[in-house]
Amino acid sequence: MATIAVPLGGQQERQAIEAVRRPALSEYLRWSVDHKIIGVQYGVTALLFFLIGGAMAMAIRLELLTPNLDVMVSGAAYNSMFTMHGTIMIFLFIIPMWAAYGNYVVPLQLGAKDMAFPWLNAFAYWLIPPAGVVMLLGYFVSPAEAGWTSYPPLSTLFSGDGQTLWALGAHLLGLSSIFGSINFIVTILNMRPPEMTLWRMPLLCWAVLATSIIAVMATPFLAGALTLLLLDRMTGTTFFDASGGGDVLLWQNIFWFYSHPAVYIMVLPGMGVLSEVLSIHSRKPVFGYRMVGLSSMAIAIVGFTVWAHHMFTSLQPELRIPFMITSMIIAVPTGIKMFSWLGTIWGGKIHFTSAMLFALGFMSMFVIGGITGVMLAALPFDIHVHDTYFVVSHFHFVLFGGSVFAIYAALYHWFPKVTGRMMNERLGVIHFLFTYFGFLITFFPMHIVGMLGMPRRVAVFDPAFTDMNRLISFAAFVLGFSTFIVFYNIIHSYFRGQIAGANPWRALTLEWATTSPPPVTNFEDDPIPYEDPYGYGTEAASAYLDAVDQAFDGRRPASPGGH
Amino acid sequence: MENNTNNRLSITPTTIVVAAVYLLVSVVGINWFTTFVPVVFPPQASAEARSVDELFHVLLIIGGIIFFLIQGMLLISVVAFRARRGDQSEGSSSHGNMILEVVWTIIPALVVIFLSVISFNVWSQNTEPKISVNLVDGTPVSINVTGARYAWTHTYETNRTTPEGAPIVINSGNRLHTYIGQNVDLTLRTTDVIHSYWVPAMRVKQDLLPGDLTRGGRPTELRFTPIRIEGETYPAAYPIVCAELCGDGHGLMTGAVVVYEDETQFLEQFYEPAIHAILNPPADPVLRGELVIQEYICNSCHILEPFDDWVGRTGPALDGVADRAADRVPGQSAEEYLVTSVWNASAFVVPGYSDQMANFGPAEMDNYNMSPEELYSIVAYLCTVGEQSDCDNENSTTVIPAAIKTVFGFDVDITFGMDQDESADGETDSEDDGEMSASETSEAASE
Repeated sequence: MATIAVPLGGQQERQAIEAVRRPALSEYLRWSVDHKIIGVQYGVTALLFFLIGGAMAMAIRLELLTPNLDVMVSGAAYNSMFTMHGTIMIFLFIIPMWAAYGNYVVPLQLGAKDMAFPWLNAFAYWLIPPAGVVMLLGYFVSPAEAGWTSYPPLSTLFSGDGQTLWALGAHLLGLSSIFGSINFIVTILNMRPPEMTLWRMPLLCWAVLATSIIAVMATPFLAGALTLLLLDRMTGTTFFDASGGGDVLLWQNIFWFYSHPAVYIMVLPGMGVLSEVLSIHSRKPVFGYRMVGLSSMAIAIVGFTVWAHHMFTSLQPELRIPFMITSMIIAVPTGIKMFSWLGTIWGGKIHFTSAMLFALGFMSMFVIGGITGVMLAALPFDIHVHDTYFVVSHFHFVLFGGSVFAIYAALYHWFPKVTGRMMNERLGVIHFLFTYFGFLITFFPMHIVGMLGMPRRVAVFDPAFTDMNRLISFAAFVLGFSTFIVFYNIIHSYFRGQIAGANPWRALTLEWATTSPPPVTNFEDDPIPYEDPYGYGTEAASAYLDAVDQAFDGRRPASPGGH
Repeated sequence: MENNTNNRLSITPTTIVVAAVYLLVSVVGINWFTTFVPVVFPPQASAEARSVDELFHVLLIIGGIIFFLIQGMLLISVVAFRARRGDQSEGSSSHGNMILEVVWTIIPALVVIFLSVISFNVWSQNTEPKISVNLVDGTPVSINVTGARYAWTHTYETNRTTPEGAPIVINSGNRLHTYIGQNVDLTLRTTDVIHSYWVPAMRVKQDLLPGDLTRGGRPTELRFTPIRIEGETYPAAYPIVCAELCGDGHGLMTGAVVVYEDETQFLEQFYEPAIHAILNPPADPVLRGELVIQEYICNSCHILEPFDDWVGRTGPALDGVADRAADRVPGQSAEEYLVTSVWNASAFVVPGYSDQMANFGPAEMDNYNMSPEELYSIVAYLCTVGEQSDCDNENSTTVIPAAIKTVFGFDVDITFGMDQDESADGETDSEDDGEMSASETSEAASE
């Protein structure tokens, strides 16, 4: 082995292998401007809301065991259940969960000491718990029951005060999202070390950048729509009331102008996670790095031109065709990512860690969501399945099979960095199997139920669909059970997990070139990134990784040149 | 050892077996998939359904190829490139392949262009304006659909007139009647929130958009043409479903499309009998009430034994309503209670239910505009629903009008305008006829 300069930055303080120095628990319960504390605050808050939203999903499936209304007290109670389920999962689980990973990992990957605006970062987080509480307070008046899409006039003239609280809560969460995104954009564009050009940036940072650009551009539209809704509800304006010259389609247009891009806000960071996890756990560079980064940007841009496919049954017929075409086009950059990931693992050395299993699970489930997405873009077919269980199935394949699988992959991947301890791999595999099969059997049959004629958002349905719904419900309970496995694993591993060391996955990105968890300033000196964040399979990379091991854990480097 | 092979697929017996099995599974799989096309759809009851199903067939084949391609690559990768236990070596250092990347950008782009083109063709074929729509007896009639929480109402503005020259309007409640080959063209309006009119068997769906009701609302349009299904017995009924969340009873908002074998059967079994009933309404208030009550949306919230399409559960069941009518409100007779409950339901809410029912009185909600004569006949009918009615059914022709006079101050023409006037009286609940009905009411009141 030739002598290779290992650009690690200054000598770091050695960490004793036994002791993991973690911030005191009280640090997490108060105002902190440390991005690592804020990241964990985001993550724990989001996971708690995940439990609440998940419990609501279980209640929904319990009701749907029979074609009659029997579990819930009224149709309205059922409506509020799926309304809050959707709202919580989107605004209080998935979006804050990505803010959690973004906060914790992005500054570390950039070799930065914190986010660009630490105070704003803390402020953005602290908007979330009150917003969640405001929304849930609806249960003390009359909870929102117009669906997470809250179409007027159902959400204006025909809903109770819970709807106002819902809109106020969503408003606060939108504000939080805008603040967080501005912070990410500034951080990613300005706080990279001089050696790290945009084209040497880890793909998670690319994905977070694309996501943040979407959020900054789209979320103000949500704020506008919610403001009009609140004015209609509270001050008697008639923006959405036809009898006063308003238009119900106005809401649909503005709402979906935000909410379709919001789908990419929820899934692009997951795609960034996939690029990281697949490359690291198969010991191979990301295939077509530039195209993967650029396709994130392409999705971000094209994502703004497709919103009205959510309105195929209400939009003026002559406007439907253009939106069909743009909706189809967005399959192309998504396909590039999918094929690039296949190219990444092809010829690698795949280690079946829990993180990798969930990343592979993402690929095999997300492709189904992608295919049904193209089917839904095909206007004549969409007309039949619009607002049916086919759509419910499609977006769960994208948001559960996609986003949530990626959230799990990221959890197993970065938990060691955050806590200094590994998660239990055996439990991880069990968790994966329950989740994968529970998910598949829950959501795949929904396609068929929808095509056969079952609309979404109904508590009472044609008894012909009873058997299918039973199957779906039982699989959903298995899926619900799988959540307890991962929560147990988190708690167990936090206290009892194997000590991780600085770089348990032998990864090249900078977050692994510091202790686990990192010190308050992240790095002792300015770290110098390795020339290629995914340059696995070269001697230089192996030497760099050996040097990292030695610098932090005093571990003996693996024999030169691998085996 | 491993290093030499790690950037290309090593041809081991395992790989060959996996690849062979996989190829077999894909071919069988795609074939198997497509046999499910008829199974996963409801009956193919319209010309539109036929072309939508064909489009889905193409989508399924292309989707199937992509599905098996990607899952197959994934499967091969995880088998062929798995790290053996203890293998700490690195994978290949390949960073990409320009040609491959261009190929997998262009091919999907071509595929989606192809899909856009065929979808566009199906769409323009299905939405092409048709020359002769809603033909009955060689002339077009208009068919209006009204969505109101939580019921569908279909009205036919026929080409027949009453002896006085007023056009006859058939109200067929939550049923749409049509026949094979008729080009159906519906005009849809909602009186409250957004609803979506979906007939799964026809593969058509259209939202009903709230508009300014004083200017005729915001009508939307839905077109389809029923076709014959082999082995079906006609008339055949296919469900209508509300597909857009409209509130508490959304799942209950259903109806049916009744398809007749041909125009003759349509005329004989639906159209002519309906017109006959309008031209010759029963003079007996009970018989008349039984017809009138079915023209309103009572069925969306109540159930009532003889009617199989009454499905609502948000309001109390009407079975045996006459047996308890006198016990509800102290001081009110059975007749007074029933009269009040129809026009001003908020006056007394049955324990366990919420105050949701619309007020059907003429002064209250012009959407419904029920005339005093209709109220009289409905109450006369409801007074017969039960085992031992609380009503004074011997003297219903005087007691019920007296109750209406007491509670609301309206006079009732118990002869229903004798035998020539206002014979279409029972059909005046659609919005378009609202004004006519109101004027009739005032005429009746002034007599």
